[in-house]
Amino acid sequence: MDAFVHGLVSLFDIHLLLLIFCATIGGVIIGALPGLNATTGAALLLPFTLTMEPVPAIATMTAIYCSATFAGAITAILINTPGTAASATTCLDGYPLAQQGQAGRALGMAVVASTFGGIFSVICLMLAAPLLARAAYHFSPPEYFALTLFGLSMLASIGDGSAIKNLIAGVFGILIATIGVDNLTTVERFTFGSYHLYEGIGFVPVMIGVFGISELLVQSEKLHLRREVIRMKSVELPSAKDYRDSWRAILRSSGIGTFIGILPAEGATVASMIGYNEAKRWSRNPKLFGKGAIEGVAGSEAANNAATGGAMVPTLALGIPGSATAAVILAGLMVHGLQPGPNMFTEQADFAYAIFWSMMLVNLLFFFVGLRGAKIFARVTLIPVEVLWPVVFVFSIVGAYALDQSMFDVWVALVSGVIGYFMRRYGFSVVPLAIGLILGGMLEQRLGQSMVMLDEKWWLMFTRPLTLLFLVLTALALFGPAIWGRLVKRRAPLDSTGE
Amino acid sequence: MTPPTDKPKLLGQCERWLIPVLILAFCGATYWLSTTFKKMPPILKRGIQPSDFPQLLVLLLVFLTILMVWKDPVRVRDRLMGSTLGTIALFAGFAALTSIDFFLALGVFATVLAMFWGERRVPILVLVGLLVPAAIFFTFDQVFEIRFPRGLLISLWYG
Repeated sequence: MDAFVHGLVSLFDIHLLLLIFCATIGGVIIGALPGLNATTGAALLLPFTLTMEPVPAIATMTAIYCSATFAGAITAILINTPGTAASATTCLDGYPLAQQGQAGRALGMAVVASTFGGIFSVICLMLAAPLLARAAYHFSPPEYFALTLFGLSMLASIGDGSAIKNLIAGVFGILIATIGVDNLTTVERFTFGSYHLYEGIGFVPVMIGVFGISELLVQSEKLHLRREVIRMKSVELPSAKDYRDSWRAILRSSGIGTFIGILPAEGATVASMIGYNEAKRWSRNPKLFGKGAIEGVAGSEAANNAATGGAMVPTLALGIPGSATAAVILAGLMVHGLQPGPNMFTEQADFAYAIFWSMMLVNLLFFFVGLRGAKIFARVTLIPVEVLWPVVFVFSIVGAYALDQSMFDVWVALVSGVIGYFMRRYGFSVVPLAIGLILGGMLEQRLGQSMVMLDEKWWLMFTRPLTLLFLVLTALALFGPAIWGRLVKRRAPLDSTGE
Repeated sequence: MTPPTDKPKLLGQCERWLIPVLILAFCGATYWLSTTFKKMPPILKRGIQPSDFPQLLVLLLVFLTILMVWKDPVRVRDRLMGSTLGTIALFAGFAALTSIDFFLALGVFATVLAMFWGERRVPILVLVGLLVPAAIFFTFDQVFEIRFPRGLLISLWYG
């Protein structure tokens, strides 16, 4: 309880409040710019937080996370281009509403639903993260190994790639994490005698590369696209009828988003898709969906913002990122010398609660920023790519250099960017690569510790109930969708004949 | 810039097989490299040998690549665009220019990239190529106290 209050009190600092306010505005601008999203924004911002204390540094990154996730709705509604992937489903009803002259109404609902979803998930985060951490406190290396494996298995279903390609990207990321001196035995691996590689490949330059520079190359394919912004008078708060129509969708999507966010590696994109689908399924007017249903906007937006708080639960309590942006925040925690996991709630509880409260504050802030400023922020979507992306490149390169003041990191960012671009071109998501890189070291370390603990008899892992549970969940995450798909396929002809 | 053209069938087929072949070649090279790692005596190996984990990953990668070829082959939608190839070539130019000066390279790259992508307004080019890199340099130098590698321009500032 002390930490709960201390965390809140630590926010009452004018510099910190100002920083959070600026980061919220920055996040809204990042989210509103097509091509830039919360993950890229957090990755680019990470080097700027190096000289800050941990609370302002991580609060800044979470502010970007929450506000950029909301701001994706601005471009989704006004130019039919989701500012972030998590807002893709918002386009489906938001843009038709804008075409009907109701852009202000759609944006108003997006603001309200996002704020509600975000606050709901932060409350869940405050309740669930300490409980999860307490449960995980007594985990031994085999349980942690199996849990990390489960987190990585969830990579199969994230991002825009297929399950197999996601897993290939994830394994590739873990393989990159093995570069450098082995922590367990101090043997050099894949270093080629270069001292730059002794400590391995830094995950910050890789993230800047795969999220920032690869996006620059993706944008180079879209130079012929011209965007038209639908004009609106102002953002309107939803009417009583809109609330009556949408409150169930908002509540349901907030729950769905938080739950999906808590699942390791699953983020706002999956949450918004499920939130939207469920809003449609339970709606009294499902035929209106896709043509301008306000419930569709509410369902999608509440879910994607609820996923932000949910994603921070495994990130802080277990050290396993709940989404791509949470992976960048996890990298930020590590760079600042913090070790996320169960110990965080005993040794750095004040810090953890300060982050929770800052997220709560950001969700309240973007309510006002969204209502008052969405019309202004909509204009940033008009910044031409030929102006925006050279500037992003300069930020990316300086950011990659600044972390260790090393030109080697600049080359790592550039090469990662080119590799990331080709991965995306051939259908491999870069998110699993980033998460694999972060979790790879932990996975190997826990495997080694487990082998020592179990006297090198790896099959003894199956005799430990919790380890077995996580391994079964891993198998279900990997093979469940394929088995389920086959079962459904077999059932389909029977159903069609009415048997 | 040219918009995406029709699906290039021959190139698509080539790339479809090229990617798995590249991954398998990478796996082969990585596995071979991992066999050159030092072996630890049983008392010091701490559960697994240094080469065990990378080798396990390589085998998993081989299995997944074969599965990909069988179940979910690589599909290529569009031809690689000239603007993308040109941008990658500019990266190489940037890398070469950094040997003269880091911020000079950034400024030149940002200006040339903006021009290559179609920007012609001089004030905008000055903003992108001069003002933004200068602002970022002074922010990092003065606020974050980051020291940048010496070069033609940066040495003038550092003295």
